[in-house]
Amino acid sequence: MESTVPTHPEPSALTALISNTSAPSNPYSATTLQILHNLEHQHLWTSLQVHNLEVPSADSESPSLSHFLISGIPPHRVYTHPDEQLYMLEKGLRDEDVDLERMFVLPTAQGQSWSLRRMAAVFDSLADPAEEFCSLSSSAGNDAEDRGTKANSEKAAKLAEYYERRTKAFRTREWGGKRILLAMVDKGMGGDGTVVYYIVQEGAVKPRQN
Amino acid sequence: MNLEPSLPIPISYIAGNYFVFSIDAVTYLRREHHICGVLMGTLPQCPQQNVFLGLPLELMPEEARLLVEKGVACIVDEIKAQKHGMKALMAEDRKKYLHELESQGLQAMRLQHSRKEQQKEMALKKIEDKKLAKAKKMAEKQATAETQVSAEETQADPMIDLFADSQPSSSTPAQLASRPASIASSSANVTMGVTPATAHPPLPLKPADDQLLPLPEVPSSYPLFSHLHAEGYFLSPGLRFGCQYVAYPGDPLRFHSHFVVVSYEWDEEMDLMDLISGGRLGTGVKKGFLVGGAEKKHKDIGEQKDTVRTFSLEWAGM
Repeated sequence: MESTVPTHPEPSALTALISNTSAPSNPYSATTLQILHNLEHQHLWTSLQVHNLEVPSADSESPSLSHFLISGIPPHRVYTHPDEQLYMLEKGLRDEDVDLERMFVLPTAQGQSWSLRRMAAVFDSLADPAEEFCSLSSSAGNDAEDRGTKANSEKAAKLAEYYERRTKAFRTREWGGKRILLAMVDKGMGGDGTVVYYIVQEGAVKPRQN
Repeated sequence: MNLEPSLPIPISYIAGNYFVFSIDAVTYLRREHHICGVLMGTLPQCPQQNVFLGLPLELMPEEARLLVEKGVACIVDEIKAQKHGMKALMAEDRKKYLHELESQGLQAMRLQHSRKEQQKEMALKKIEDKKLAKAKKMAEKQATAETQVSAEETQADPMIDLFADSQPSSSTPAQLASRPASIASSSANVTMGVTPATAHPPLPLKPADDQLLPLPEVPSSYPLFSHLHAEGYFLSPGLRFGCQYVAYPGDPLRFHSHFVVVSYEWDEEMDLMDLISGGRLGTGVKKGFLVGGAEKKHKDIGEQKDTVRTFSLEWAGM
């Protein structure tokens, strides 16, 4: 019988991705890549992008750290404000009728130190949702009209109404303000690569009725 | 009931805690200023029955401070006020006050007594009516049954007697006469003890200036507390939910709470695991997890009032 020389197993797809990507030597980059990988392959997000971000360090004296922010389009809606849900229900709209929107994800790892200052800096770096949705809803409105020439013009009208309402709601913050997804990866001893996601919103936004 | 207590409401500072003793003040604070506090008066016999708690109302230092800053209340050194007040009380006043209490007790006793009498009369009247109705029925029955067999009649008779006898006929006159008399003799002489919840009739309502205390010391979470309070939330202590405050969107008797709240200082290190466990906790009880604190601006921006930033967390479900 031929004695086999023990060989190293093939590195995992994730390890290959992290080692192949010519990332700068930043401790945050590997975490970002891992979460990017998770979003793409487990949660099937599309149009993923990585953005650079300057975040102040824990104490205000030392220079700010560079951090990353991921953005992408989820396959279905991740968050609906309870009042928005009620409005959609009244209008007879479903989650899948509404256009998907780009969401920002903050990649973090267990054990990283954060503070309110840094969290606020992340939120301050995001564009104001009111302006963003203003431009978005105008194009979406046209889109809806194009589709509406067929049988479901009634639905298109409702959708247009909904987008208008949403723009207003974003301006008054009644359906919540800026929101991001906080992704945390378990990297400690026995870290199993689990990624957990939490919705973080600015201000006191009432909880969903789930 | 729209009793408005005279402002500022005295908050008694006793052994490091803040109490309100007047029921009018308690309802007023809850109704007008969204301050609920915690009722903590209990019966010495069953101190563990925490559903039956009553006056006094204990306030968190944050609540006390907020009320003082609003000019609604003032902090009184209660021990000093009591000692001083009692010393200043003249012998005449003291006698007058005791006399007043006694007459109040008498009044209460009389009220209770007359209510008892009324109830008894009503009960007796009911029995009387029943008896009359029964007798009528029996008379009718007899009239119809007279033609029937006499043996039956003789059997039925003692039954009627038994029922009729046992209750009113023989016993009523005697009882009516004796029972109220005995009650009257035993309780009429005993005036009820009246224990006022506040010491304001004998002591002056307005505390002297030297009995007032400065603003209460508050934890660093006070800016977040006052921020949420200003937004209309009712806040109560959060120990039961594993947080600092529980925030209700309206009166806690009418609404479920929306948030479990934890305050951080602007540069205080947040363990991400705490955010996750808080988010889990909140989502598990259908609430949001709210973190926040006062924002520290750069010094060169000037003496701007510190603003409070808050973030709410929920499990994303993915």
